[in-house]
Amino acid sequence: MIIQHYLKDVKEKNISITKTIKSILREAKTLNKKHNCFNIITEDLALEQAEEQEKSPSGRLAGLPISIKDCICVKNVESRAGSKILKDYEPTFNATVIQKLVDEGAIIIGKTSQDEFGFGGFSTNTDNIPKNPFDEKVSCGGSSGGSACFTQLTKNPHASISESTGGSIANPASFCSVSGLTPTYGLVSRYGLIDYANSLDKIGVMTKTTEELFPIFNVIKGHDKKDSTSLNEKPSNDNKVKKIAIIKEAFEINPEIKNQTLANLEDYDVISLPLNKKYSIPTYYIIAMAEASTNLAKYCGLRYGQTLPLQGSFNDFFSEVRSKYFTKEAKRRIILGTFTRMAGFRDAYYLKAMKTRTLLINEYKKAFKKYDVLISPTMPILPPKFSEIDKLSPLEQYQMDTLTVGPNLSGLPHLSVPSGFIGKLPIGTMLTSNHLEEEKIINFGEQIEQRN
Amino acid sequence: MKIGLEIHVQLNTKSKIFCGCSTSTSTEPNTKTCEICSGAPGSKPVLNKEALHQGIKVALALNSKIAKTTFFSRKSYFYPDMTKDFQITQYEIPFASKGKLENINLRRIHLEEDPGALIHKGSTCLIDYNRAGIPLIEIVTEPDFKSPNEVRLFLRKLITILEYLEVYDRKSEATLKADANISTTGEKVEIKNITGLKEIESALDYEARLQEKTPASKQETKRWDPDNQKTQTMRTKESEDDYGYIFEPDLTKIELSKELVSLLKKEIPELSLDKMSRLESEYKLKKEDAEVLSSEKKLAEIFEKVAEKIDPELAAKWLIRDLRKILNYSKLTFKDITLEVKHVIELLDLFQNNKINDKTTKDLLIKLTQESFSPKEYVKKHHLELDSSNLEKFCEEVIKENKKAVEDYKSGNEKSINFLTGMVMRKAKGTANPKEVEKILKELIK
Repeated sequence: MIIQHYLKDVKEKNISITKTIKSILREAKTLNKKHNCFNIITEDLALEQAEEQEKSPSGRLAGLPISIKDCICVKNVESRAGSKILKDYEPTFNATVIQKLVDEGAIIIGKTSQDEFGFGGFSTNTDNIPKNPFDEKVSCGGSSGGSACFTQLTKNPHASISESTGGSIANPASFCSVSGLTPTYGLVSRYGLIDYANSLDKIGVMTKTTEELFPIFNVIKGHDKKDSTSLNEKPSNDNKVKKIAIIKEAFEINPEIKNQTLANLEDYDVISLPLNKKYSIPTYYIIAMAEASTNLAKYCGLRYGQTLPLQGSFNDFFSEVRSKYFTKEAKRRIILGTFTRMAGFRDAYYLKAMKTRTLLINEYKKAFKKYDVLISPTMPILPPKFSEIDKLSPLEQYQMDTLTVGPNLSGLPHLSVPSGFIGKLPIGTMLTSNHLEEEKIINFGEQIEQRN
Repeated sequence: MKIGLEIHVQLNTKSKIFCGCSTSTSTEPNTKTCEICSGAPGSKPVLNKEALHQGIKVALALNSKIAKTTFFSRKSYFYPDMTKDFQITQYEIPFASKGKLENINLRRIHLEEDPGALIHKGSTCLIDYNRAGIPLIEIVTEPDFKSPNEVRLFLRKLITILEYLEVYDRKSEATLKADANISTTGEKVEIKNITGLKEIESALDYEARLQEKTPASKQETKRWDPDNQKTQTMRTKESEDDYGYIFEPDLTKIELSKELVSLLKKEIPELSLDKMSRLESEYKLKKEDAEVLSSEKKLAEIFEKVAEKIDPELAAKWLIRDLRKILNYSKLTFKDITLEVKHVIELLDLFQNNKINDKTTKDLLIKLTQESFSPKEYVKKHHLELDSSNLEKFCEEVIKENKKAVEDYKSGNEKSINFLTGMVMRKAKGTANPKEVEKILKELIK
């Protein structure tokens, strides 16, 4: 049952909220054993919320079960962003999106698994690795792997609140064959989102079908005075897609993926985005790591999260705690990120990347003068096996983001829609529109989805 | 000798620079904190505009250029008093630059957050984050000072300006801190984190004397030990500190429009130098008196109100000679006392019209700094008004009772007359004018 029908049934009292919640909790527990989609299932909280909503359903999402990516703070619920260093950490406040969802009657069922702090594209840089709904030996993608995995597997009405920095919604949405919307940067408040790279982080949503994105998106968007980068503008309600183009460079990939993606399209132009092709990966990784390396500094065992006995100087103590609890990938990004902003290298890396970012945004902006939606496959490969991922170098892993980092760097809304299967593994098509034109990609996404 | 300063001043906004917590630190440790100033994961800063506005006013008062746009940066270093292990500060483009205060050029003024406070107790160290997030401005001077004495004079002037702008509280010494660079003929020595005007003076005096004897042979960073009044070497510098600055991505660029700047300019009150020359010409005061009165904003305000009703020269004399002395004696400032101007006027009016004597005026002024009352009623109630009707009688009695002193006076001991006057004053219980008493005594003894 799609979300809209469920919400209608709840409103008309044709369905029991508690029964739905009990059913989805049971399902979550069973699936979690095999697929590791949750870091924590919040059974007590969900039942408590369900009981309240059952008594007096209120709000636009009354009774709707939602899962939350681990990196979004839920008051009094362990929120560790997939990291061991924040094990047992329970925030004292709700993220703005959580408060909005709860106020509208949504029911939180758990925190989904992810790469530590969002560092990865396969959800393997963590202690709880989600497994693909279509093949357990295959990755769900990342970093919002758990969100995509459960969204695909559940038989209940459900949406997952996830987050993207460089492709962390589109990538797993594609690998798990669900719809994943990453809104315009600043459209959804980041307050309460555990930071990866603040100038890139965007909270978004995944649902099984594209039309189900609407009710959730409508609740989570909007200005928040607690987030200084929050936009004070309303998204456009023009959803007419008159002219589309495929991105030339994005189709220089696996011919099977290319052909199947194109088979879903008609009446398109071809546009070239050479600057994004050449510079988006290095620009993205320099900015993301520079910011991440400062964000992670606060995790030092002194104020919250995991710690060790206080010994030696504070520098020794901090190093010991951080060495023990961060994954290898987090350490790599701290070291690289620190390097790019050090005196002597800062001009050549960090500042250059910031300038390049403006050029990349301008390249997109120019394209949107002519086109409503730009199209590419979401991922250049099919979902890989864990054994294949192990053989990839860090650089090869970073290259997998080649199609998703562009819109992420430019803060552009983008949507991955399920676009069929090759063998038993799914592919996704990514639609990108100009800032605040989410309605266009959702509308067009529904059309593509229907062709499959 | 060349000295340059980086001066940190706590602004006195009601709430912290990036959250709504109160800036009052005189409470239980770690009670004025929230998820934002304690750096909880997921929390985000929002700039308190009041801090920026106070900062701009200071910069304008220090004749600085205000930037058209400004933004914040992250300064990264690990230290337990830092809740995020980076400090939100300004790096590339401070909100103000190229200022000047008299002969000292100011390179830049920027805004930043104060870290928490480390409290060392024996072998343990406690951290109080109440201070974390209190707004600071950092004023960086060019190395234009030629002696510690110049620094002293400059800081006094700076503090007066800050007080006039009501962004600074003289009482809490901790709100002014400085790093100082000092060099004579040798290398540059930096003294870090000196707290309070007095300690800044002492540290520079100490280091200046040290370097005059033996100029520094290498670049050094030192700390000031206020207990032993000595500088101590922290480290010798091979390279600059590397703070890996990035733009603060949780805050946006801030436009400082001409309209905003001119609006803030209008809010700047008349500052001390202007006030001094105006007092001098408008009230025909002596230059020294005008200087003392304008050195404290509150004092100048009291003076101008009193001078509407009382002879300005007399008002200045009482306010400078007596009121200031009383406050200095009891280590109070104008902020600590509830002195109502109308009562001061009443009191000085009584004195001016010869209704009470000097001593009564002084006694009542002291009393007025402690409690609020009407001097007129008080004088009436306690019969302190000058009364010459019984004076001759009192004088005759005293002459009879103190024959020896009278003889002494007659034989040329002028001082004895003071003693006799005192005795009469005692009998008159403060209702006599001592000059008048002396006159009567002299006539009677003749």
